Amino acid sequence: MRINELPIVGELLESGAEDRIFDSLLLVGPLLILVIALVGRSVVTTGLAAAYVVFFVAYVLYRGIRH
Amino acid sequence: MNEAVETIGRDLGRMFQALAGLLFVSILIPIVWGEYYAIPALLVSGLIPFAIGYALSSRFRKATKPGKLHGMIIAALGWFCVAIFGSLPFVLIAWTVEFAPPILGEPSQTSTLAAFTNPLNALFESMSGFTGTGLTMTDNEEVLPRTLQWWRSFIEWVGGVGVIVLTTAILARPGSGSLTLYESEARSERIHPSIVSTVQTIWWIFILFTFVSILLLWVVGMPIWGAINHGMTGLATGGFSITDNSIATYDSAAIDFALLPIMLLGSIAFPVHYLILRGDLRNLYADLQTRWVFIYMGIGTALLTALVYVGDTYDSLFTAFRYGSFQFISAATCAGFQTAVDATNVALGRWPTQAQLTVSFGMLIGGAAGSTVGGIKLIRALTLLKGIRFRISDVFYPETAVRRLRINGRRLNEQEMRQEFEEAAIITALWLIFLGIGTFVLLLLLPQGEYTLENVLFEVASAQGNVGLSAGITGPESLPTLGKIMFLFNMWIGRLEIIPVLVLLRAGFRRGGLY
Repeated sequence: MRINELPIVGELLESGAEDRIFDSLLLVGPLLILVIALVGRSVVTTGLAAAYVVFFVAYVLYRGIRH
Repeated sequence: MNEAVETIGRDLGRMFQALAGLLFVSILIPIVWGEYYAIPALLVSGLIPFAIGYALSSRFRKATKPGKLHGMIIAALGWFCVAIFGSLPFVLIAWTVEFAPPILGEPSQTSTLAAFTNPLNALFESMSGFTGTGLTMTDNEEVLPRTLQWWRSFIEWVGGVGVIVLTTAILARPGSGSLTLYESEARSERIHPSIVSTVQTIWWIFILFTFVSILLLWVVGMPIWGAINHGMTGLATGGFSITDNSIATYDSAAIDFALLPIMLLGSIAFPVHYLILRGDLRNLYADLQTRWVFIYMGIGTALLTALVYVGDTYDSLFTAFRYGSFQFISAATCAGFQTAVDATNVALGRWPTQAQLTVSFGMLIGGAAGSTVGGIKLIRALTLLKGIRFRISDVFYPETAVRRLRINGRRLNEQEMRQEFEEAAIITALWLIFLGIGTFVLLLLLPQGEYTLENVLFEVASAQGNVGLSAGITGPESLPTLGKIMFLFNMWIGRLEIIPVLVLLRAGFRRGGLY
């Protein structure tokens, strides 16, 4: 199955920076926010949220260096 | 039926359907928060634009593609109508609570919510939201139902990118005249050759950045509901808050500083974001506007910090930097979040005059064209400066000399330069004219001696620049009815960069060949 054939999110994912990591961050983002809303602030959720933000920044820099 | 009316009707119908979609999606919020009394209001608010939109788009589905004139009229009229329909949840929820029907529970009325029983206040809030202004008719956002807190943030988030851009991403197909509409909504940059693909990429970037913003705000200590709302309105540089004292409520330096990169992200053009995500980081300094976003924010921050520190507004350099950097970036990115309020510190309206005028100047220019910000935009200010320098230095060259002006890597010949300079000069002149008119009208309406000239200039610049910072004039009681109408106009023309609204008014007055 091609990525643009996925239901609902297919067209959206096809539109991005054509990078699977960014696409994954896009899909994981709302799930993580949902988990935080349900579980609340704990070491695990704080760590996950911080990891998401740090990973996003680090990956942008990594792509920049590789480019 | 006139061909132009059919085209305009068809495209307006699509916009209304997209708006109805937003309202139907928002029904999830009262379900999650148990505010069941808000569900009928949202349903009715969604059904009205859906029915009108469906009728228009199916009745005129064979209409021709929009031309430039149609595009501008659709943009101007569409944004106004969307603001009207967007005000329905405010009015209907406020009246639902006012009547408190037993079958829907017994929600308690507050003076904040009761203000929306006046449709003008609701329309003001909706226009402020969609245009990303952030001036508000509420006096305490905290007591609003979660549904309305969400709706305010949501319309700002959508308005930051644009209602037409939303409609194009969902409903338009290649070759449907989307480019004309896209350009009428104060956008011109393309990421891909296809405009539909361009707007989808814009949404992709915007949604990803929204998640990053929400999670960043939560990590630095903001509660999750606040992080969701402020992440959305911060990135959209709208500035609506869910707390009474905007960001000052949290009184946290970490949150203040975390919002700076979020607002800055919102003030950089989407095509540049796309290139950066593709790995081309050079654009952070190679792109003229992006480079100047940082230079302009840096200079403004330094100046404002110095003014409030030397003026003894704050007693430590760090505090002066904290408030100076936040308020300048909040103003220049047109976000309009406030940290300088009486409850926690010295309110913005009581800052030294020169500091208030520095913030006003920040609002006037704004950030990069092609981003979510308002104002005149950096590229226009730079075109004007470069054009003036080009004209003056012209005297020093022989008449036969062939000269070109370099702007953002483009080498413009005499005719291209004239065209760019003329466009920038016209929009700047119109912007200043309407700033003057707004100031004049407000000076006539407001009680003598209550507000200073810089307060009034600040407030009008804030409305027209779609910023939302307030010197204390805007409010359900403090702003007279005519002042609210004036601000509705200022916000509307500010978002669409004036010309489409003038085109609509001309067409309305002279019938513009429409029928």
